[in-house]
Amino acid sequence: MMISRRIWQKRPPTSSWIFLRPYTSQIAVPSPSPSLFPVQTPSLIGFLSSYAASSFRSVYKISSLEMPTMVSRCCYSNHALADLPASGIVDVPLAQTGEGIAECELLKWFVKEGDEIEEFQPLCAVQSDKATIEITSRYKGKVAQLLHAPGNIVKVGETLLKLVVGDSAVPTSSSDVLESVKPPGSENSPDSKLNKDTVGGVLATPAVRNLAKLYGINLNDVDGTGKDGRVLKEDVLKYAVQKGAADGPSAASVSADCREQLLGEEETYPQTFAEVKWYPDDKTVPLRGFQRTMVKTMSMAAKIPHFHYVEEINCDALVKLKASFQNNNSDPNIKHTFLPSLIKSLSMAMSKYPFMNSCFNEESLEVILKGSHNIGIAMATQHGLAVPNIKNVQSLSILEITKELSRLQQLAKDNELNPADNSGGTITLSNIGAIGGKFGAPLLNLPEVAIIAMGRIEKVPRLSDDGNVYPSSIMTVNIGADHRVLDGATVAKFCNEWKQLIENPELLLLQMR
Amino acid sequence: MNLVRLNRTPILKQLHLEEKLLRKSSTNWCIINDGTDTPAIVMGISGKPSELLEIGSVLRDQVPVIKRFTGGGTVVVDKGTVFVTLICNKDDVPGVQPYPRSIMSWSGLLYNQVFKGIADFQLRENDYVFGNRKFGGNAQSITKNRWIHHTSFLWDYAEGNMAFLKQPARAPEYRMERGHTEFICRMNEYLPRTDFIEKTTEAVETYFSVKNVNLEATEEPCGAEFVPSTRLLSKQELEEALGPQPEIIGVSV
Repeated sequence: MMISRRIWQKRPPTSSWIFLRPYTSQIAVPSPSPSLFPVQTPSLIGFLSSYAASSFRSVYKISSLEMPTMVSRCCYSNHALADLPASGIVDVPLAQTGEGIAECELLKWFVKEGDEIEEFQPLCAVQSDKATIEITSRYKGKVAQLLHAPGNIVKVGETLLKLVVGDSAVPTSSSDVLESVKPPGSENSPDSKLNKDTVGGVLATPAVRNLAKLYGINLNDVDGTGKDGRVLKEDVLKYAVQKGAADGPSAASVSADCREQLLGEEETYPQTFAEVKWYPDDKTVPLRGFQRTMVKTMSMAAKIPHFHYVEEINCDALVKLKASFQNNNSDPNIKHTFLPSLIKSLSMAMSKYPFMNSCFNEESLEVILKGSHNIGIAMATQHGLAVPNIKNVQSLSILEITKELSRLQQLAKDNELNPADNSGGTITLSNIGAIGGKFGAPLLNLPEVAIIAMGRIEKVPRLSDDGNVYPSSIMTVNIGADHRVLDGATVAKFCNEWKQLIENPELLLLQMR
Repeated sequence: MNLVRLNRTPILKQLHLEEKLLRKSSTNWCIINDGTDTPAIVMGISGKPSELLEIGSVLRDQVPVIKRFTGGGTVVVDKGTVFVTLICNKDDVPGVQPYPRSIMSWSGLLYNQVFKGIADFQLRENDYVFGNRKFGGNAQSITKNRWIHHTSFLWDYAEGNMAFLKQPARAPEYRMERGHTEFICRMNEYLPRTDFIEKTTEAVETYFSVKNVNLEATEEPCGAEFVPSTRLLSKQELEEALGPQPEIIGVSV
């Protein structure tokens, strides 16, 4: 194993040393242990590679920053550089962990920036294929910078972290060992066009880098106020605000777009911003698709005189029914839930009270009693509220309803419901209890005349006739009805019928054809 | 090497034990667990439920989902799964280096002995196969001085259980896009269960001097509090992984 030793030319004090980070390595170098590359003389020559100089050059894509006399790793020899500190920063790459393995996922760090570490101390755990592997350090030193976050895929040869090795801690004459890239010959132009990003010239933690990436900010444009010019989180945020103020509407629309994209994924959005001290900004969200439709339909619905009828339904029998369906289910693709049974019994009840399944024509003052029971199911999707309906429930078995419901649910999730699925409904069920709440006061889905909101099935205590307390599964329903067509008595009687069928499902058998 | 024989020990308990022995013990161990008590899904350390599982079915059937401390893929385990685990000091197995390929090859040699003359056994990529059908999946963890290599063998399995697993994005080449039922096979078609366990024990004995110990022996070396990283995923985590679904039914009784 040949060590390449390069002599650094002394530079004027204002400039910095060049440390190029290696690019992806194409070499598979068998290494006897999953630790870092061996160092020949640990204290002074921090040269990590065991490659011959020529092969080294061919493997590592040397950027135009490199000078012929320079080498791409931190490398000091105290012969030529007598007045530099004896220690330095070394790049620690991910070593080969087995032939054919080109990359690993970083699972977790066992150390953090600033930690003192011993030789052979575990630094991190990575995963390749089937194995998790602990990477240990070949050096005693101090962690200067972690270059990857857990979850990142790291290619073999890519630098994992930077260590300060040697007896002293990070040298106080820090400008000399700062990891900031300046091309030789242009050290007087700190904003060199040469691509500093690709060589990671800015000192910042992975968390800060991720934050900058999130805002589309180039770290090189940010003034670092931390030690040694390090870019801190606050610096990124401040820069983002200034940038936002300078860009004006474009920044606002960018964030508005982000908001739009994340509609329906609110649970992740606040987490990203949880730690951020953000200056609040107004956001304009144009309504599209389902939401736009909702504006129209709800405005019209609000003009209809609604009344609401509330009832509690005992679901003990329903719970048993569902359990029985599940236990006797041989088809793994079918999952039984409560809703199909509720839908079927609704249809049965509507057969007795056809006015519940009707449409009202205002102009002609006519009620059209619909022949088909097309029962709409309100679905909250990430694209908004969709209400596809199951056609002809009166002719479907509970099993067929289950399958159809599943089909519609999948389409709704993928935003692929076709217009036929969404139109022609004659009554709507809204299982708002799935999300929460005791019951709601739903608005009609015009031109229907009734809508039913179902709350959660809750286990509550009930008193029996002899004064004992027993548990019971109770669901509260709220039927919203068009008072121009339906009166309280009709709705109450209809609800009693439906309730009876749910509480005594065996009665369904009496009427099923 | 200490050999521990378990029967229908819950897989979570087994994994906790293994992790403890890997990290805290300094002796070599072989653990054979003849089936686990209830069906469970076991994912590798970086497994993402949304990519690997049919979460809707998993939640509905309330199948426990465990994330283990070793890498590798996802399996559904039950009483028909036989688990064999080897935990070794890196210097105690001649010719075996503490990195994945080396350990995997050595294990292939070991099991070659077990199935000699019985079936067309091969180590294929990282799986144990008969012909081109997988019957055993492997995972490893390598620490500073020790390593663990554990295998779940499909003695038998329930077809329905395979439906909990999605077709994985990362699959060995020899799988060639086959679905679960076309890709895996049952060991019970090849040899009796007790034979397998006996032959495995014999094969291990050719590499180590084996001492049969009971579960209590695993308590001794470890002393201080050990917190395993293998864990059961909570219902909430699975629901979050499920992502936004059209909320039409959520009655939770």
